[in-house]
Amino acid sequence: MINKVIVTILILLNTVLLYGQNDRKINFVGGARSLLNANTISVSDSLPDTVSVKKNNGGYAIMDMGLLIKPNKNTEIMGMFRIRNEFGGFWGSGVSFDVRQLWLKGVVANALRYQLGDINLKQTPFTLYNHHADQIDSLPAIFDLQRNIVSYDRFYTKNNSWRMQGANVDFGLNFSKIIKELNFSGLITRLNATNFSNIPDRLMAGGSVNVVQSKYFEIAYNVNSVFDVKGTILDSNIFKNTVSTIDWKIKKEINGNLISLGGEAGTSKHYFSADTLAPNLSDYFVNAFAKYYITKWKVTFTAGYLNVGPDFRSIGAQSKDVNYNGLPTFFNRYTNTQDIRPITLFDVIGNENIYNRTVTQNMMPISTVFNNVLPFGIATNNRIGGYARVQFKTKNEIAVNAEYFNLNEIRGQGSFALKKFEVYKAYVFVPINKLIKHSKHISIQFGTTIQNTKRNSSESIENIKLETMQINGGFRWEIFKNFDLLGGYISQNTKGNEFSADRNTYNEITYFNIANYNLNQQILAGGIRYNFGVNTHLTLLYQSNKYQDKLGNNASFEIKQFGIIYSITL
Amino acid sequence: MKNKFGLLALLIFVFVGCRKDKEIIDGPSINEIYSTFKFLQEFKADRAAVDFEAGQTVIFSAAFNKVVNWQISIEGQTSKAKKIISGEGRTISVSNAVWNGSTTEFPIFKEEVCLAKLTIKEVTDTFSLNITVAKPKVNAGLVIADFETGIKSTWTKFVQSGASMDFNVKTDSLAPQGAKYLKMAGTVNWDYLIGLIDYPATAYGGAPTLPLETNPENVYFNCMVYGVPNTNQSIILFQFKEDENADGTFNSNNEDEYDYEIKVNWEGWKLISIKYSDITTLVNGAPATPKGNGLRNPNKIGKISMLHLANPNDGFASSKIDYLIFTSSKPLEP
Repeated sequence: MINKVIVTILILLNTVLLYGQNDRKINFVGGARSLLNANTISVSDSLPDTVSVKKNNGGYAIMDMGLLIKPNKNTEIMGMFRIRNEFGGFWGSGVSFDVRQLWLKGVVANALRYQLGDINLKQTPFTLYNHHADQIDSLPAIFDLQRNIVSYDRFYTKNNSWRMQGANVDFGLNFSKIIKELNFSGLITRLNATNFSNIPDRLMAGGSVNVVQSKYFEIAYNVNSVFDVKGTILDSNIFKNTVSTIDWKIKKEINGNLISLGGEAGTSKHYFSADTLAPNLSDYFVNAFAKYYITKWKVTFTAGYLNVGPDFRSIGAQSKDVNYNGLPTFFNRYTNTQDIRPITLFDVIGNENIYNRTVTQNMMPISTVFNNVLPFGIATNNRIGGYARVQFKTKNEIAVNAEYFNLNEIRGQGSFALKKFEVYKAYVFVPINKLIKHSKHISIQFGTTIQNTKRNSSESIENIKLETMQINGGFRWEIFKNFDLLGGYISQNTKGNEFSADRNTYNEITYFNIANYNLNQQILAGGIRYNFGVNTHLTLLYQSNKYQDKLGNNASFEIKQFGIIYSITL
Repeated sequence: MKNKFGLLALLIFVFVGCRKDKEIIDGPSINEIYSTFKFLQEFKADRAAVDFEAGQTVIFSAAFNKVVNWQISIEGQTSKAKKIISGEGRTISVSNAVWNGSTTEFPIFKEEVCLAKLTIKEVTDTFSLNITVAKPKVNAGLVIADFETGIKSTWTKFVQSGASMDFNVKTDSLAPQGAKYLKMAGTVNWDYLIGLIDYPATAYGGAPTLPLETNPENVYFNCMVYGVPNTNQSIILFQFKEDENADGTFNSNNEDEYDYEIKVNWEGWKLISIKYSDITTLVNGAPATPKGNGLRNPNKIGKISMLHLANPNDGFASSKIDYLIFTSSKPLEP
């Protein structure tokens, strides 16, 4: 098998080189990565852990090899294969050969753009959007090395899209009077295929009509619907979740500064056609904000109002990237009783196993430890309140961001008393080399996020007080040309109590579990990186991850990791 | 521009509107899941003595701090009759706990002191109170037989001459209603029939037909049947013979007979209730076409025959019966 693969690759490479040299209708794209790591775990339990292994060494090499074919100037075809070889495998053992992506895109009559196959799709934050809600906004650069691996493997792009399989089209019309542009876009994807028995074909379809009246005003109507295709199974019970929204942008210049109003409002319906036990949910949301940009100081002030109903459901916008039911890559079980190791900060930053590639069809479990306030981003249902944001950047590129959310529940969860939420975020990035006019890169960064959840009830058992404070800092110092020294530290303290909800197949809450926390997580990391070019680097990385549960709900542990990462992207 | 801002404000106002979410919660109440059980209002009855014959009832009440599964068990201290009332909720009140003197487990309550005991699921304590039944419940309806005065002379009794025959009224603590019941027992190895009693309509007011409603949907026939443990299966067959021309005689060739067969395959007393419109004509246990007008006319019943049967190959069969009564509009609630 492996011989056939190698021969095929060689033939393909030869074809690519020969054909590419003639008229460049075929290009070779792809990347390669090799990761080698050595991990150790030490467990602090009441009894010494004599059952689970304490060391894990491993790694892999992958090569993504794609052909980008341009049969004509209006068409592109991409096919990419991935060869992965787990270290320790030899001549076929541990080797996998997969199709990583396959798509076709083009332009019809210089007007209508289309793409078929594997595509990254995004609409609005309430229709189809990957919020990456649990990610640290101000992640120190050293941790980006691992997060970039997750992002690359799961097709997370910078524009909050989800990787899906289907088709999308878009086209626009320009006008000389009244309105400037009229833009249309549409998508259809298959979320799951029927098994001809009890699972129907489930599709997602969406579209937008965007009217640009001028550079000062535009408005759009968006719709996204997830639905079962009738007749693909014998059962007549059909699921449907439809979200319809309007979003708008209004801008005005005042004394050289820019004021803008924006937002989105809409409704959702979520129902099963013939299941009398299933709830029929419908609700609405509003997210409206005003921005004021002071040109002279390069400061942007934002103030917003958020109101997302308790029964608002949007599969496209309320899917999480992190799956907290997933298993970590290594040391899945620990302690003498072989408990499942809890998902830690270490896993959330760089464990690709717990990340989803695409949207999910049920409301996923949230983590009260990592994000109790907006687990589905601003599309989190049952939230009402306001937020404010300040973004500032000096001419020396010192960047300061600060953000504040003050939210309440709209409907009580197991109590008529409502939870109150607060989030404080701050981030500072200082490019020291710009300040001291040094030619090589030197920068430091600091960030903090504080989340508070509170509920005061007449019944003391219902009271909640949960506080999570995360601080992080990091630096990047280019000691020699293309040779970086990197360091970073993240600490997160979670203290207090909450109730975690058990849900049935219809996402209805059936029970509340008491969760008490006094948890400290820390990651300390250091590394050196040599940059061969913009997209190629070799990095030696060491990190220590401490998980300390002072209440003893889970045994405390420390994982130390030494890794070598070689990454190249063509 | 002002118009655009106005439109936007209007749009938001329309969407935001007035929510009613504060009136409901998602999921079960946390307070109810985790708080320890306690009474908010003690368990009590609205009266200590009750005259059910006069239409009085007993209303139980209590209130708890959480939703619970509760059960009130009322037991006659003399008769050992039992009434069970159960429910789920935070309160016991007139809406879910009214006792009208009826019985869940026979016998029927007598004039006696009863103990009402409240038990709560997952709560070890029980809570009790006494209630004196001054007069037991009287059931409205046409009583065909309660055997309190024995076998009436107006009835016709026939008993086969088999072995261990006992087709007599008994007086003992087993009686589900009153003090007496009829025992039907014996071995007849040549025939299904062990014995029978005919109840002619003339025994109930003198008229050739029973004084019942005309609408068979509103007429229920009820009786209490006792299955004797460890004996062969008895079959009790009721034959409702309609004297359609009211000549005082049932003619099996041109008048309707409707039958109801009870296979006594349980142990202890059981209330049997059947709507007259649901009764069919049987021949040797199989459905058949009635010979008369084909209409169920409870007001034309001229005679009821009660047959005690058993498979002759089985040997000795025994059962007991009491309180044959027609009720109107609903089954008997003893």
